[in-house]
Amino acid sequence: MTSTETTSTAHTSVLVAAVGDIAEGEALQVPAERTGHHDTISVFHDDGTYYALDDTCSHGQASLADGWIENGEVECPLHSARFCLRSGEPQCMPATLAARTHRVEVVAGEIWLHPGQEPTS
Amino acid sequence: MTRIAMVGAGLSAVSACDALRGGGYDGEIVLLSDEAGPPYDRPPLSKDVLTGSAATRGDIALRPADWYEKQRVELRPGIAVTALRPDEGVLELADGSELTADRIVLATGGTARTLPVPGADDPAVHTLRTWAEAERLRARLVPGARIAVIGAGLIGAETAAVATALGCAVTLIDPVPVPLTAVVGPDIAGALHARHRAEGIDVITGGVERIDRAPGTEEVTVTVGGRPEPVAADTVVVGIGIRPATALAEAAGLTVDNGIVVDVAQRTSHPRVYAVGDVARRSGDPVRHEHWDAARSSGQAAAAGLLGAAPPARSASWFWSDRYGSRLEGVGSMADAEETVVRGDVASGAFTVFGLRASVLIAAAAIDRPKDIKAAQRLIARAVPVRADRLTDPATELRALLRG
Ligand SMILES: Cc1cc2nc3c(=O)[nH]c(=O)nc-3n(C[C@H](O)[C@H](O)[C@H](O)COP(=O)(O)OP(=O)(O)OC[C@H]3O[C@@H](n4cnc5c(N)ncnc54)[C@H](O)[C@@H]3O)c2cc1C
Ligand code: FES
Repeated sequence: MTSTETTSTAHTSVLVAAVGDIAEGEALQVPAERTGHHDTISVFHDDGTYYALDDTCSHGQASLADGWIENGEVECPLHSARFCLRSGEPQCMPATLAARTHRVEVVAGEIWLHPGQEPTS
Repeated sequence: MTRIAMVGAGLSAVSACDALRGGGYDGEIVLLSDEAGPPYDRPPLSKDVLTGSAATRGDIALRPADWYEKQRVELRPGIAVTALRPDEGVLELADGSELTADRIVLATGGTARTLPVPGADDPAVHTLRTWAEAERLRARLVPGARIAVIGAGLIGAETAAVATALGCAVTLIDPVPVPLTAVVGPDIAGALHARHRAEGIDVITGGVERIDRAPGTEEVTVTVGGRPEPVAADTVVVGIGIRPATALAEAAGLTVDNGIVVDVAQRTSHPRVYAVGDVARRSGDPVRHEHWDAARSSGQAAAAGLLGAAPPARSASWFWSDRYGSRLEGVGSMADAEETVVRGDVASGAFTVFGLRASVLIAAAAIDRPKDIKAAQRLIARAVPVRADRLTDPATELRALLRG
């Protein structure tokens, strides 16, 4: 996969993958070096839609990319806190804090991540 | 309904509070605890608290400090409930006062079982259920200390692993040659237990008969049946399960039979009183599920029951345990499986055992394969017919099996 990074006025946009590269129910980690964000960001594929959240679970040290992705949520591999992929809000204990969300855009078959930008809708 | 009182402030009670507010309950919630300080999570007690990486109560808090005020949960720590009068909805408190509530949730958990042998009350003998006990034990786990751990189930095994990592000389004693076999099957139980020896622990099979201390010495000796030489130790840790804290319920005349007996909405035999977590047993279940996930989900089920909502779908019992940097997980009831099959490479140490009955998955246990367990939880819940050869085939995505 080629990595293309362009700088817009406020944020860096990162080309993370082509559509089809991230299987349904899987996630791809985008390391901090590529985004300038303090945490790895994971791009999740749930039922044809892509979402991006900070990868580190707000409850502990788990990587949400290793979680179970289904029905618009990701469930943490360690203690099974569930987060809404759209809003980042925790859906149950033990997490209290929301996962930071980022905007993902699919343009001409390419998946672009806009770190630090709020998802549209 | 204007006031709900919870007795005990562990995970099950806090989960019930969380789900009550999430479900729109607007009345008062009073959360009573006989322990000091705000609610904390217990699994770290035998992990990060003993290693020292979680050094303060704040590190293992169940909720942030300002959560209780924000959620309008009146937390009253450091006060025991001494009696319950269910017909009146009255709780008697240790300071002589009374509290009246429309509904009462018993979330009293349990206390660590003690060893029924002479010398078990020696100050060198520790149990591990509370923060206070964990702090006391942590101070004993210094390099070179001789630690005898009695009971090689979940908490005993975790404690032995941490003590070894901290440089203690550990002896692990259990009457069962391969503990946990009924829970996770022989392959996983065998691999787990063998790991203790590989890590340098002296593993002894036998029952403890007595604990002695020579007058004026710091050392105790643990006598194990069938062994001529007793085990010398500076500290003894007993991890042989819990005794459910049912005294209040029993005295109040509620039905108690290996735990406070409850229905799908966690209702006890008295309509005003609910019970959740380790202390409760669902009628029809042969055992109490003394695990973190069961405490969380029973709190959610009680909240639904209190709000008159349908109980959430019940999932198969799930637990995890961490030792030597590996994660053990189990879901469902392996003992009820007719056939078990392995996915992954047993020799690599990371593998999953699936338990099937009548062509559906009913149980799974795994070392370091969290996604297999997540898939198994869903295969069990949805009762999808599965073929054993597809479960074991590494080319088969378990997620694909969910689609039937
Ligand atoms: C060391 C340790 C490690 C664990 N590790 C794991 C793990 O890795 N994975 C896993 O799945 N599970 C684990 N568990 C199990 C899990 O933590 C428990 O299942 C869970 O904490 C049960 O919650 P609970 O709310 O039912 O009870 P508890 O957490 O025990 O809370 C009950 C509270 O009620 C209080 N109380 C009792 N009687 C009264 C009274 N009369 N008045 C006022 N207060 C009262 C008690 O003092 C206590 O604070 C572990 C448990 C321990 C002890
Ligand atoms: S680390 Fe994610 S729920 Fe605990």
